[in-house]
Amino acid sequence: MRKNVTVQLIKQVFCIAMVAIVAAPIILTLFAAFKDRADMVNTSPLLLPPLSRITWENFRTVLTNKYLLLGFKNTGIILGISLVFNVLFGTITAYIIERFQFPFKKIIVGLFFFGMLIPTFVTEIARFKLISGLGLYNTLRAPILIYIASDLMQLYIYRQFISTISASLDEAAIIDGCSYYGVFGRIIFPLLAPATATVCIIKSITIINDMYIPYLYMPKSKLRTLTTFLMNYANAQQGSWQTLAAGIIIIMIPTILLYLFFQKYILAGVVSGAVKE
Amino acid sequence: MGTLKKQKMVFILTALLVPISLLIAFVIVPGLDLFRISATDWDGLSQSYQFVGFQNYIDMFHNKDLWGSLKNNMVYFVIHLLMIPVELMFAVLLTSKLRAAKFYKTTVFLPYIINGVAISYAFSYFFSPINGAFNAILETMHLSGLIRNWLSDAGIVNYVLAFVSLWRFSGYHVVLFMAALQSIPQDIHEAALVDGANPLQIFKYIQVPSIMLMVDFILFDNIRGALQVFDIPFVITNGGPGYASSTFTLYTIKTAFTFSKFGLAATMAVAIMFMIILIFLIQNILIHKVVLREGKKR
Repeated sequence: MRKNVTVQLIKQVFCIAMVAIVAAPIILTLFAAFKDRADMVNTSPLLLPPLSRITWENFRTVLTNKYLLLGFKNTGIILGISLVFNVLFGTITAYIIERFQFPFKKIIVGLFFFGMLIPTFVTEIARFKLISGLGLYNTLRAPILIYIASDLMQLYIYRQFISTISASLDEAAIIDGCSYYGVFGRIIFPLLAPATATVCIIKSITIINDMYIPYLYMPKSKLRTLTTFLMNYANAQQGSWQTLAAGIIIIMIPTILLYLFFQKYILAGVVSGAVKE
Repeated sequence: MGTLKKQKMVFILTALLVPISLLIAFVIVPGLDLFRISATDWDGLSQSYQFVGFQNYIDMFHNKDLWGSLKNNMVYFVIHLLMIPVELMFAVLLTSKLRAAKFYKTTVFLPYIINGVAISYAFSYFFSPINGAFNAILETMHLSGLIRNWLSDAGIVNYVLAFVSLWRFSGYHVVLFMAALQSIPQDIHEAALVDGANPLQIFKYIQVPSIMLMVDFILFDNIRGALQVFDIPFVITNGGPGYASSTFTLYTIKTAFTFSKFGLAATMAVAIMFMIILIFLIQNILIHKVVLREGKKR
């Protein structure tokens, strides 16, 4: 019995150390966000300022920045439209690949697989030309199109899920005179709702956190997203860590909240999106 | 029957038309276009460019900064690789009987979810030379002698950035390991317990063999991730000082978008693509051999 207690204790020590390492940079940034310029110099970075001197001024400065609001708006628009099409195309493509045999199927599945293998960052060298050629440079349509067309992880989540739905369901509906669109729209799509929740949440986190695509394709200040807002804000705040710290914390909040509320879906989705087939 | 078959084909065709067009236009064509651009001296803007054959490939092999950057990728790869046993240990720990396990599971994955740019700035502050938190931690531990310019010392900056990368991505591997461990049928575990196996034996003979496929995936993910490290060095140091913390991808992106050498950058992109596909194939062959060998044993 005593040995058991010791083992439990050692386990707890490891876990608490892990929590400390995860939390330290975030908590210390939060401390800085509560300090004014003088306290940044006078108090230890490891401590909160004296309680009476805690200031909300830094948060106020960031929150009243008009580009933050624009960032929320632009991120929201990009996110909403991308999600709708990701779900629509993801479900229907996965359904067809899972259920039907058709000519060139192997080639089409191969194309989707190849699409996952191409490294995203460097593809932009070629994609950039295409996007500007289509006149989409510095428009919200550029990131939306890219998010819809690339990053195909939803296919794997949907395919796994569809393979658990009995095919006799579709057959029965077809015999009863339902069209294929009907089967998909009225039977399959609703049944996929849990997978759709997972896909939406994971995609949301990816899109909200993405820096590269908006940075590359939308330098215009009116088109800032949450992430590019933070990058511009950081450049403008050179050396004044306390206001930047407040910015960092504010940008972290949306995805942390999403994570805390929808953990179950996120973990399930990350696992099924990673382990293909 | 005939009409049903026709209906089916119409459905498949109309439904796949847009997704496949998008895939081809925005993923496949740009991917293949890299090969063509890599044979030109295109600057990314001009309408006209010259075909230069293999000149970019020759230039790439003579580019010292690029290969120096690739060496930096190795740092990320090795450090993440060394952490895999620790990540596995945590996964075993978190799936075992443990008080507050749920809280720990939530925490371990948190860094992966948070905005990478925000994290990068938070760590810039953490390691900043003036009033930085990390130096303050060292001071309170009476280790002031270790204080460095963490982000501008060319000798250590890579390790610091690789640590940030560890901080961010280790939880992802822990979660994947946990999922694999949880998918092991409970009765095997119980049977082993009845037979008197101790935790170490269970780990060695049951848990490790059953998660080999996940280990395989994580190894591949590590290689692919290490080859593509981009945003952490981009935001924190922009590859500096000099090229001390540059990575292959960062160098490629700079070559294209900062120095307007799209032709040369496309060549580098092709090189990354080849490296990833090559590693994927080699690993596939290796794993299949391992799996096959396992099959023979039984």
